[in-house]
This record gives sequence, C-alpha cells and structure tokens, in this order.
Amino acid sequence: MVIVKRKELSLSEKLYIPEVLRGLSITLRKMFEPKITRQYPEEPLPKTEVTRGQPRLVVREDDTIACVSCGLCEAACPAYAITIDGGETDRAIEREPVRFDIDMLRCILCGFCEEACPKEAIYMSDELELADYSREALIYDIDKLKRPKAALQKRIDYVKRINTRWQTPSST
Amino acid sequence: MSSWEGFLIVLVKTIVIFGSLVQVAALMTLAERKFSAFMQYRIGPNRVGPFGLLQPLADGVKFIFKEELTPDGANPWLFRAAPVIAALPAMMTIAVIPFAPDVTIGGRNFGTLSVTDLDIGVLYILALGGLAIYGVILGGWASNSKYSLMGGLRASAQMISYELTLILTILAVVVMSGSLNLREIVEAQPTIGSWHIWTQPLAFLMFVVATFAETNRHPFDFNECEPELVGGFHTEYSAMKWAMFYIGEYSAMTVMASLTVVLFLGGWSVPFWPEAPWWVCLGSFLAKTGFFLFLFLWVRWTLPRFRFDQLMRMGWKLFLPLALLNLLVTGAFVALR
Repeated sequence: MVIVKRKELSLSEKLYIPEVLRGLSITLRKMFEPKITRQYPEEPLPKTEVTRGQPRLVVREDDTIACVSCGLCEAACPAYAITIDGGETDRAIEREPVRFDIDMLRCILCGFCEEACPKEAIYMSDELELADYSREALIYDIDKLKRPKAALQKRIDYVKRINTRWQTPSST
Repeated sequence: MSSWEGFLIVLVKTIVIFGSLVQVAALMTLAERKFSAFMQYRIGPNRVGPFGLLQPLADGVKFIFKEELTPDGANPWLFRAAPVIAALPAMMTIAVIPFAPDVTIGGRNFGTLSVTDLDIGVLYILALGGLAIYGVILGGWASNSKYSLMGGLRASAQMISYELTLILTILAVVVMSGSLNLREIVEAQPTIGSWHIWTQPLAFLMFVVATFAETNRHPFDFNECEPELVGGFHTEYSAMKWAMFYIGEYSAMTVMASLTVVLFLGGWSVPFWPEAPWWVCLGSFLAKTGFFLFLFLWVRWTLPRFRFDQLMRMGWKLFLPLALLNLLVTGAFVALR
C-alpha cells in the first residue's frame, strides 16, 4: 500500500490570499519576458543538410534529367506514391522518363526512393511546405519535380558522406 | 431646456454608453487572448489589423456565417431565447453606472454621464444581475443534454450562494454612504482617503471574489468546466447564439468592474485633484475599470479552478458569516457615530 504524505500547509498557505498574490506576481512577471513564438511564414525554421523534405528530381548541368526511368524507386516506395513511364532519347544515356508523377498526398517522405536510386537522380530536398486547394494539384508531375543539381547539392553531399561512413579502404 | 432637448441628450448618452459597452466587450475577447498569450510567452492574435485589433470583427463575421445547430429534442423557443436572456441583463445594468460628473461642453451642463440617474440604482443592478442566471439555466435545460443541464444547475447553485455575499457586501457600502443612488455613493467618497476600499477592506475583498463567481469567471467557472462538462451550458450552442453568451459574459465583466470602481474606488474621483474637469474624471474612472477588467483576465490565467464543494463551502461557511458580521459591525459603527 502506498501512503501519500500530504504537505503540511502553513498558515499563510491555508489563508490562500498570500498564495494568490504570489501566483499573480508570477504571471505578471512572465508577461514581460521575451516571447518564444516564431512567426512561421515570415521566420521559417532553419534548414540543415539533414532536413529530409519532399523528393525532387535532379537536373544535371547540361539540362538533362538524371533519371533513366529504371523503376527502382517506384518499387521501393512503400506508399505507392510514384508512377513512372519510360521513354527513349537520342543521347548517350538512352532512357529518360516521359512521365514521372509523385502523389504528394501519398508520399510519406521516408526517403526510400533516394536510397534505391542507382543514378543519383532523386533526392529529398529541403522543401517542406505542401498545401493546395485541390487533390489534383498535389499530384506533382515531372515539371514540378525537376530541380537543378545545385539546389540539391547540400543533400547530395550529405547522403554521399553518410553512405561512405562505414567503408574502409579495403572494402571499396 | 425643452423636453425635446432633454430627450436628445439622453439618446446621445445612451448611444455613447451602450456603444462603448459593446466595443469594450468585443475588445475584451481580444484582450483575453492577448494577455493569456503574454503570460505563456506567446504573442497572441496579430494577423488581422495592427496588433490583431480587428480580430473581434473577424470573429463576428465568422460567427454570422457559421451553421446554427439545434440538437434533437431541444426546446426550440427556450433554446433560442436563452442567449438573449443571458446577454440582455448585463447590457441593461450599464444604464445606472455613472461614468463622470456633470459633463460641460462649451459652458453647457449636460448632467452626469450615465443613461439614467436612478435613486435605487443598486437595487436595479442586483435585480437584473439575478435575471442573468436564467439565460444560463434555460440554455442548459433547453439543450436536452446532460452536460448542459449539469452546467446550468451548477451555475444556479453558485449564483445563489454568491449573490448573498454580493448583496451583503454592497449593503455595507450602502450603509456607509447612506444612499442607494450610485451617483451619491460616488460623491460620498471624493478624496482618495475616503474611498470605501479603505473603510471596508473585508467587504471589498469578498465583493471582488463574489463578482468572479457572479460573472462565472475563473476560478469559479463551474457552468463551463471544460474537463468535466465539455462546455457546460453552451455545449450545444453554435454560431451567433454561442457568441451572445460570450457578449453577455464580457458585458457582465465590464459592468461588474465598473460597479467595483463605483462602490469601492470612488468612481470618477481623481486622487489628489478634487477640482478635476469632467474628462479627467472620466479618464480616471476608465483607468480604474480597466484595471479590474485586467484583474479578471489576470486571475483567470493564474489560478486553477476550484472544486465545486470547495466553492460552496467557501460561499456558505466562510463568506456569508463574514459578510453578515461585517454588515453588523458597519451598522453598529454608523449608528453609534
């Protein structure tokens, strides 16, 4: 059996009024202390290289998309958010996607697509805001997903670094 | 002065006083959120207008466009009447509060700044204050919901126990100043030394606590009591009907704050400046009322809610005997003086 020993109240605590005044003085003092509210759209949270936002497709320096539409990310996606149709090009890298849709309402931002990609073509960007007026507008097509490589460089460097963290010279 | 002019003067005074009351009630909803935010290291509403000053307007528009729900089995007429009954008495009581002494503009005297200079002003306020509770009880009963009914019943029990204390403390002040007219009560305390807060400190303390219970504010808001009763008497209300309850609550707070000032803080009397012009007196009155309005918010965000039995015990076993004793001593003092 647990016996809870109540605190013996002193006379001023029993009278209650001094304690009320003490409480009031505390709340009054707190009123003038600095505020911790962050005015969100104007003052966004700082983003680091670890920030794992929405997936985006890498566009290389020569303006071609890095994706070869192999379908590995589509297969890896646990939420079935990705849909890819492949097509052919005349370039040295013969394949590119003609359709690459990510349903952002399904996407859970897990980053499996990033891990699955053999061509360093899809990365989790630092873009976090996701709001629109219709469900259709939130199915992002290839034009909405394309980002120049420079915009994703911070994340690319980070992923490369952690992927090589456990590699010893002999194992490579 | 013709009767036509007299009518016009009363009309203008009514519009000014009633309009200000509604304005203050609206701004109090903003002030409540602002001050609660400040006490919790937050900023509070600041998106609508400068410092969020237009927030009450935005809320009003929202309330008008919301859907009005009436629960199944609710008594439709009482359900509609309850918010009006809750809001009207609080607004009517402002009529007898004197805000400033004789208003003189351009050498003309327009009389005391109050809608009416009633000889039984104190009685009028108490009578209407007793009516306000009907809105809460009817709202709770007509909703056909147990939470609402519990809220209404608690409110009535609480109101009965604290109305007595309220009346007895006011009576002590009435005995001191020898009048039921609020203007004469103010004129009986012209200097800071003669304010009734110094001659009746115990009555003042009990009166302030009783006003908190009377207006159903924290820490005595048992008719709402979110953790136990969802929303209390207004659980089933929505849209403008719900807003009416809140207009009533904030109007009642404003009236009670000004009544406290009239009874205990010398009304419009300015400390150390007995010959002050009427607009300084008005400013003094508003400043004192503002402090008591702030006190309502300040206490709400400081103290946790009492338990219901604690509240009843305090009302019947502590405040009632103390108030009676205080009245007895005051009466004996005045009679033997």
